Amino acid sequence: MLIEIEGASRSYGRWPALDQVTLQVAEGEFVVVSGPSGAGKTTLLRLIWMGDMPDRGFVQVAGFRSDMMKRSHFAMLRRKIGIVFQDFRLLPDRTVFDNVALPLVVSGASGRAVRKRVFSLLALMGLSHRRNSLPHQLSGGEQQRVAIARAMAAHPLILLADEPTGNLDPEASARVIQHLIDINRGGTAVVMATHDPRRIPPGSARFLFLDGGRLTNAESWQDLEETR
Amino acid sequence: MSLWKALGRETLNHIGTRPGSRAVTLVMVSLAFVVFNTFLLVSWNLERLLQRELQSVRIEAFLSPELTQSEGRSLADLVSTMNGVRSVYYVSVFEAEALFRAEMPEQERLLDLLSGQFRLPASIQVSLEPGWDNETGVRSLAAAIQGLEGVTEAVFGEEYLPGLSKTVSAFRKLLVFLGTVLAVSIALVVAYTVRLSALQRSLTVEIMSIVGAPDWFIIAPFVAEGTLTGLAGALGGLLISAVLSGMLQGAVGHSFLPPRLFWTVVLLGGATGAVGAVLGIRPGKTSRGGNNQI
Repeated sequence: MLIEIEGASRSYGRWPALDQVTLQVAEGEFVVVSGPSGAGKTTLLRLIWMGDMPDRGFVQVAGFRSDMMKRSHFAMLRRKIGIVFQDFRLLPDRTVFDNVALPLVVSGASGRAVRKRVFSLLALMGLSHRRNSLPHQLSGGEQQRVAIARAMAAHPLILLADEPTGNLDPEASARVIQHLIDINRGGTAVVMATHDPRRIPPGSARFLFLDGGRLTNAESWQDLEETR
Repeated sequence: MSLWKALGRETLNHIGTRPGSRAVTLVMVSLAFVVFNTFLLVSWNLERLLQRELQSVRIEAFLSPELTQSEGRSLADLVSTMNGVRSVYYVSVFEAEALFRAEMPEQERLLDLLSGQFRLPASIQVSLEPGWDNETGVRSLAAAIQGLEGVTEAVFGEEYLPGLSKTVSAFRKLLVFLGTVLAVSIALVVAYTVRLSALQRSLTVEIMSIVGAPDWFIIAPFVAEGTLTGLAGALGGLLISAVLSGMLQGAVGHSFLPPRLFWTVVLLGGATGAVGAVLGIRPGKTSRGGNNQI
């Protein structure tokens, strides 16, 4: 299993964000985690990229186990994970090219390899003409596509997307979702947190419902509606 | 692009931002170094004075009147071979009288009255090697000389040497203590600034962490910033101190810091800046990423 979460709980003060969550994600799988605001979706994703650690239980991602992590392991783990956030989190003072190149640059890739990969990703995302622009010169949809390109730059095994369409109009959202589906078809596992799973075409993903920190499985988003 | 090239680019990018707050920090560190340099200048000049006093400590061995001049010179040769002796000067009876007359002309008559019954003794003046000019060294050497046949008495500054030694020792301890306090204060000023810088750049730190940058890659630009701030602050402080020292030279005679101490201050600036930066960025917190990384 690429991701294995076993009885993981995480509380912030007295508020339990996640309660005894158990989840397994295989290589190349597309998992959609849905639930209302405050359900624990972001916390679940943070546990996967180990931006946070469980109070109880453990998380194992690409061979890295949360209760056995050393400092140097975090960087190694992050190179196997691409992350996309609702608020894009692009470096405002760097061009589109530099933002996408960042994961390759910090891993010491050669200049030629960086240029080749970044140009290819920008072409894939329809952003070649924007490579010298700064993030604030782009639309929300374009910024999110830059964020996806950055997340995919280092050929990650897993793509985590935390409400990637939360700040986008329907047209831009559809395009972003299609990119995520294409990425998944290319073999990358995708875990996406969203409060609106109806945007995901039925049959293309496994649906999970998270509420009050507890996780339940569903066949499709229609099932999720019934669960609610 | 190699990782080092990327790091260099990242560092330049980092240093190129926030010129306003960087200038304020530089002024703060420079002023802190002016205080440090003033302290160093005063203590170094005082230390030199005390050291000169210690170096002037010598043993005077009075010789028996029965010794002939050649026996006295032989004894002086013997003393010159002893451990801790830098140089020996033989003062003959005649030279002792001449010295007495030259140094105490008002007592000259007394010497004339006593001539025939009393003569000033010949003596050996012993100056000491560095490292022997402390109380223990002088006392042991004086005892050894006193034990030689033909020496009636060996004296040194028994009445003031212990006090002088204690003063020098206490002064050095004070110097180390105050120097450390000032160095720590400067490191904290730099740490505070780097921490502010880290907070202002928290998005960059977070993203770097998220995309898999190793800790050292994230921290290095901050350490470079701290080191450069420390170095520039130390140089700025030295420049201001040199100007102040020049202005005060007429009123209070003193020497400015020698090159050895000058470069020590510059290196100290770099080191305190680097330490401050490491304290400011708090390594280990960067590896988690997210909102709690600094």
